[in-house]
Amino acid sequence: MGGFDFSNHNRNAALHAQGVPLPKATSTGTTIVGCIYDGGVVIAADTRATSGPIVADKNCEKLHFISPQIWCAGAGTAADTEFTTALISSNLELHSLSTGRRPRVVTVMTMLKQHLYRYQGHIGAYLVVAGCDPTGAHLFTVHAHGSTDKLPYVTMGSGSLAAMSVFETQWQRGLDREGAVKLCADAIQAGIWNDLGSGSNVDVCVITQEKTTLMRNYITPNERSKKLRNYRFQRGTTAVLNEKVMTKEDITKYVTVHELEDDKETAVAEKMDVDR
Amino acid sequence: MASVFSGAPPAGGPGYSFKSTPTPSQASGIREHSFYPYADNGGSTLGISGADFTILAGDTRSTSGYSINTRYEPKLFKIGGEGPDHVGATLVLSVVGFAADGHALKERLDTIVKMYKYQHGKPMSVAACAQRLSHMLYGKRFFPYYVHAILGGLDEEGKGALYSYDPVGSYEREQCRAAGAAASLIMPFLDNQVNFKNQYMPGSGEGHALQQRVPEPLPRADVEALVKDAFDGAVERHIEVGDGLQTMIITKEGIEERYAPLKKD
Amino acid sequence: MDSLFDKYTSSSHEEEAQLQDADQELSVNPPLSLKFALPPVAQSSSWLRAMTDDHSNPSCPIKIAHGTTTLAFRFKGGIIVATDSRATAGNWIASQTVKKVIEINNCLLGTMAGGAADCQYWLAYLGMQCRLHELRHKRRISVAAASKILSNLVYSYKGMGLSMGTMCAGVTPQEGPALYYIDSDGTRLAGNLFCVGSGQTFAYGVLDAEYSYDLSDDAALELGRRSILAATHRDAYSGGYINLYHVKEDGWVKHGFSDTNPIFWKTKLEKGEFSNVTANFEDDDTSQRV
Repeated sequence: MGGFDFSNHNRNAALHAQGVPLPKATSTGTTIVGCIYDGGVVIAADTRATSGPIVADKNCEKLHFISPQIWCAGAGTAADTEFTTALISSNLELHSLSTGRRPRVVTVMTMLKQHLYRYQGHIGAYLVVAGCDPTGAHLFTVHAHGSTDKLPYVTMGSGSLAAMSVFETQWQRGLDREGAVKLCADAIQAGIWNDLGSGSNVDVCVITQEKTTLMRNYITPNERSKKLRNYRFQRGTTAVLNEKVMTKEDITKYVTVHELEDDKETAVAEKMDVDR
Repeated sequence: MASVFSGAPPAGGPGYSFKSTPTPSQASGIREHSFYPYADNGGSTLGISGADFTILAGDTRSTSGYSINTRYEPKLFKIGGEGPDHVGATLVLSVVGFAADGHALKERLDTIVKMYKYQHGKPMSVAACAQRLSHMLYGKRFFPYYVHAILGGLDEEGKGALYSYDPVGSYEREQCRAAGAAASLIMPFLDNQVNFKNQYMPGSGEGHALQQRVPEPLPRADVEALVKDAFDGAVERHIEVGDGLQTMIITKEGIEERYAPLKKD
Repeated sequence: MDSLFDKYTSSSHEEEAQLQDADQELSVNPPLSLKFALPPVAQSSSWLRAMTDDHSNPSCPIKIAHGTTTLAFRFKGGIIVATDSRATAGNWIASQTVKKVIEINNCLLGTMAGGAADCQYWLAYLGMQCRLHELRHKRRISVAAASKILSNLVYSYKGMGLSMGTMCAGVTPQEGPALYYIDSDGTRLAGNLFCVGSGQTFAYGVLDAEYSYDLSDDAALELGRRSILAATHRDAYSGGYINLYHVKEDGWVKHGFSDTNPIFWKTKLEKGEFSNVTANFEDDDTSQRV
């Protein structure tokens, strides 16, 4: 059976009582928003993940897949949003398989709130749920304690006030797709500029009855500036006390070695961003 | 006597030993919760001294919690000189931490330096000002200024002088110093790039005979680039640093002040 | 002279401290004031502890720099004084280049452990008092008297939160080489050998084993250096540079401010000590020994 392992609970409580602080979880001190328009729904998020005052990830993904037509924007503890949405996504797939129907947004919302309520806020997931189903386009928020809202435009996270100020001044009934995307992107930018917990880029997801369009890094207003100096060290700058060379034959004793077809191309999924 | 200097660690600093980790908040006796006169306004400063100049720099963001109070609040102040514009000043004070304490400190030091000139008929030397600042901070030993101060100027020989302080006035003349929120990000970079820590001269020897790279005063252009790069790096990874970079360069010609934009997210 | 005397001897932090005493601050010669600003609370010392003591409150807002391993010992050739140079604020190494030996005058040295600012300030103050003593009495102050000025001073602040553990080493015609230990509890001890700071135990380990009153000058200097090296090796809160002084009949002599890292490797490679440290890879007998 799955579920949570509480075997360290007593030890941690004792440590905490002695004044040992809890390790910091990566939180997505975040701006996430959503907005309904005629014919669909838009959700958007910034891409900064923080650990205290330090930026842990400059370009993380806060828009989570639930089903092809239902997506979720997550704020709060990064791991909790990640795993909660993944769990609900799996259960929803099973549910739609057993009912033989397309999943509904209310179903997702209900599953999330029941799951989160059971854990009394200890699972720190704050979510914006959006999607299209046979009953139309829907938008909800779900708080970590299990309460929910259904509104035409919503914001959550530490930048929610900055983002809401944009909605409250600019939102109007009967927006078209472009208008809704622009409004959401502007709301996220309000968070990026004015909330320290939010930053970097804007991700947008537009969901209609026909299709879902995920626009990863829809706006990138925070490109890293080029360094003025060159920080490549001359070879031999680092002191070496000892060295050991492991040959392919040595490695073969422990792991299976596969030759790559093209020795110029290594198997890199996403190239790391490095200074040249 | 054994009791004495257990003050610090082996006995049990944070995360060092669990056994004697002392009482947290529910300690005995009366506790005052209402009197908390400090705020942390974030931001970072740094200073580097060269052969005939000193550079001080600080970002201009002022924060409280996750909010930005303002995108332009200087952390660098000219000290001394004539009138409110500090004409002819040769000293710069940078303060980071609690801005209100920083302002109070700067106002006091400025007045003292100006009065010194009226009374002695000559400007205050950096060494004298540095010691006076230490005494001002220590004067509040039992009610500290919540600041990390850095004082820059030129010494009597015309060399760059830089003094850094802890909140209660312990001070030291140094080549370079970073203070404030991103000090832990900037200081290791400065150690490596200014004092060449952990850098050896390639081919100068085998194994332990390898010679450490010897630090020498850097030219001004290099230092200016280092400062900009240090802050660009800090802005990327620290949420309380950003918006603008205020720089003051002290040479025998006077103080040159500059402003450059930083990322605003 | 009497007015001067009064000005410098008027003790009393008990008097209502007036922070913005403009007359005092802007006067031609601001006195080295003993009036300290106090927070407007009933228990200022416990308030200060809540704000600055990272030992009892790791998340305290003000981290005060602390000093770390210092030692001094008397031998036939005078006194050796040695320190490391690291200052830590919580787990952060605030500086690796602190001068923990404070030159009070050309015959007297003080060492710094505990609060860096406390030691710096009060040893400077002691220097001033020693000079005033010279002017008043036309002869140099004895080490016993100097150390007593300091111990009386810190005792008057007992419970206020000062943190210092210092040694006064000096030579005077009447006493010869003299060594005193003073701390902020008010303890004052005369002795032949002291180690102070978080690395004291490690330094004592080496010093006690090798110490003898009849050491030669070179052997004594080497022992001082080796003891600090041992402390910097085992105590995370000690490190940086080794600061060495030799107090002789005619004043002190400085014997360098030297980086621990090369000294460590030199000690290891040339004397075969620290054999627990290797640069070898595990289960690898073929690689060269370092």
